[in-house]
Amino acid sequence: MDLLDFAIYVAPPYVAAAFAFGASYRLLKYLLLWKRGPGPEPRNRGAGHLVKELVKTFLDPIIETAKRKPHDFVTGLLMLHVLGLIPLIFLLDQHIAAFAYWFPPYALLAPLAIPLSSTTGGLTVAAPFKPVSPMQWGFVDSIWGPLTVVLNGDVLAVLAIVGTAYKIGDKIVRRLHGLSHVRIGDFFDLGLLLAILVTGFMAAHHMPSGDIVTYRTVLGAHILLAELLIAVLPFTKFWHFVFGFWYGKLHEWYDLKYKRGV
Amino acid sequence: METVNWTSYDEKRVKEAAESVIKYVDPVMLHFIENCVSCAACEPACPYYAVGEEYGPVNKAENFRKLARSQVAILPRLFPWLFHAGIPKTSEELNKWAEMAYRCTNCGLCYVTCPFGIHSGEMIKALRSFLTKTGRVPTILKAMIDMEISGMYAKIEGFQKLWSSVLEKAKEAAGGELPLDKKGAKYLYLPSLAEAMITPEAIVASAKIFSTMGLDWTMPSDPMSIRAPVGALAGDGAATKIIVEKIYNYIKEIGPEYVVLSDGGYPYTTFRFDLPGIVGEKPPFKVIHFVELILEAEKKGLIKIKKGDEHVTWHSPCKMGRFAGLIEEPAEVLSQASTNFKKLASHGLFNKCCGGGNSIACIVLPTMDFIGKLTGMQMQISKEELEFLKKLEHDMHIAGKAKIDEIKETGAKIVATACVGCIHTIRMNAQVYGLDVEVKNIVEVLADKIEKI
Repeated sequence: MDLLDFAIYVAPPYVAAAFAFGASYRLLKYLLLWKRGPGPEPRNRGAGHLVKELVKTFLDPIIETAKRKPHDFVTGLLMLHVLGLIPLIFLLDQHIAAFAYWFPPYALLAPLAIPLSSTTGGLTVAAPFKPVSPMQWGFVDSIWGPLTVVLNGDVLAVLAIVGTAYKIGDKIVRRLHGLSHVRIGDFFDLGLLLAILVTGFMAAHHMPSGDIVTYRTVLGAHILLAELLIAVLPFTKFWHFVFGFWYGKLHEWYDLKYKRGV
Repeated sequence: METVNWTSYDEKRVKEAAESVIKYVDPVMLHFIENCVSCAACEPACPYYAVGEEYGPVNKAENFRKLARSQVAILPRLFPWLFHAGIPKTSEELNKWAEMAYRCTNCGLCYVTCPFGIHSGEMIKALRSFLTKTGRVPTILKAMIDMEISGMYAKIEGFQKLWSSVLEKAKEAAGGELPLDKKGAKYLYLPSLAEAMITPEAIVASAKIFSTMGLDWTMPSDPMSIRAPVGALAGDGAATKIIVEKIYNYIKEIGPEYVVLSDGGYPYTTFRFDLPGIVGEKPPFKVIHFVELILEAEKKGLIKIKKGDEHVTWHSPCKMGRFAGLIEEPAEVLSQASTNFKKLASHGLFNKCCGGGNSIACIVLPTMDFIGKLTGMQMQISKEELEFLKKLEHDMHIAGKAKIDEIKETGAKIVATACVGCIHTIRMNAQVYGLDVEVKNIVEVLADKIEKI
């Protein structure tokens, strides 16, 4: 059994168990600490106001960051999150195929699949016939059409790598400035993310060499590192994607917009 | 054990103070502690970031996170170096933590700017609680807390004279005897001693407005507090509960339908939103600010607001706007009161902070001198605390510059606002930056403009 076989056929149940344990532990803490007590009479601003403010609660930090920290907005939010990681993780064609293997309903996202490279993307425009594939679906048969010339795994991976590298650099500078909020965990999290992105990019391009053993090792490392991320996710800052972001903004909306009528 | 101590390090006391942190951890605080990703989006929103990058909310709140991790999490207790957990180990470190904690106005700009809804100000408030227990609390703040909960302030001659003179002026403005401590009145007006000190005209104007509107109102014959709850500014939950319960019992004795405040600072938020949580029951009255009273009467056609032409602007106190939802209401009233009312550039949810809230303007040396002259008492403070206060005053001026700049841009001659702390801060900073402007409570601006229909 090589690294790839281990990552695909052996590790997943253990990863799922670690994630489930961690997620349960963190959520349970919130439940155990919850206490009910008398609250103030909310300022009633009407349902329309609450719906509008719910959207604004999520949008306001993005707008403020764009205004006050444009470099962070471009690298941290646009490159790393919006254009990089989110479409890359959930819509890259190879990822959809892999996730659908473990969780078949995920194949429903196949029509939204993003091709691996601009070459495959370019074929959607330039090829005189529709490419065929022995797999469950054609890799370049995407609804994104000509957009795939830029909306493809290569471009998105580069954006995400640049965004992650920027974040690591920012943390190093902050450490050098003596700011205490940068912790060892930040470097572990961002380092792990960067390693996943780089090994994924390398596997996609059969780097550092084209032989099958190297390919399977690099791809296996990519998947194993991603599984490590999922296993430690509830114990790291990656938890923000699953819980922290949603809970935080919904609480803020409840506190300021619903209760206080802001 | 000295209650105020800026010079030494008592390990046992620091450890006990750290252990007390656990009582602050509820699901919301747990979220604040655990879910910050250190993106630092909050930094430029904070008025003290202009002083130095170490005063960004994410960095200031990290001290509380470090403390909390050392008390409430398992792995950080086992591997503190790995998870950045721990307590201050030296006197210098404690002083540094205090310096950070007193560079926060708890204005909430970090809260609404954070992509994760993390309110660093609440963590810094809890950090102040820890520091207070170690003795790192400004002498004047500690004195005010003690005087407020013991009622000692009411026995100080300087304060008694001040209060009497304000009541006398209010009586003149109301055109007759003031209805003091009148049981069963529909409206109970609750001014504080701090208002009498910083904005006495606001109390006078409030009495005039009640009288003009012909309302059934009353107010306490003696100030119910210095500015309740002062204890909250040092994270002193016990002191907060004592004074709030005392005032709550007085209100229940009077039995009004409405409690009306002219101070739109933290007393308004405390009594409007935090009261049920502090006293453990739903209060049998409503708490409103004067602006709400005036606006409702105007909308019902009971009063008319005469329009003038003063060049006036509105500074929204964080506790009245961002934390209480009264953002547009004061602007609406002022736009009816003057053809030359102009909003500040940052008006709205992201209104810039004055730079002196959360006790800062009330503990700096000029305020200590002012209170000293009023009471005839000079406080003795250590060299370390003196340095702390001098630097704080310097930094407060830097933090408040953005507010002064945007006031300048409007060309306003009058800055209307509603918080004692904001008024005091903007006046001090306007003087430093040479801005010739009057800073008033909004009720002062409106008092002569209200006509009963």
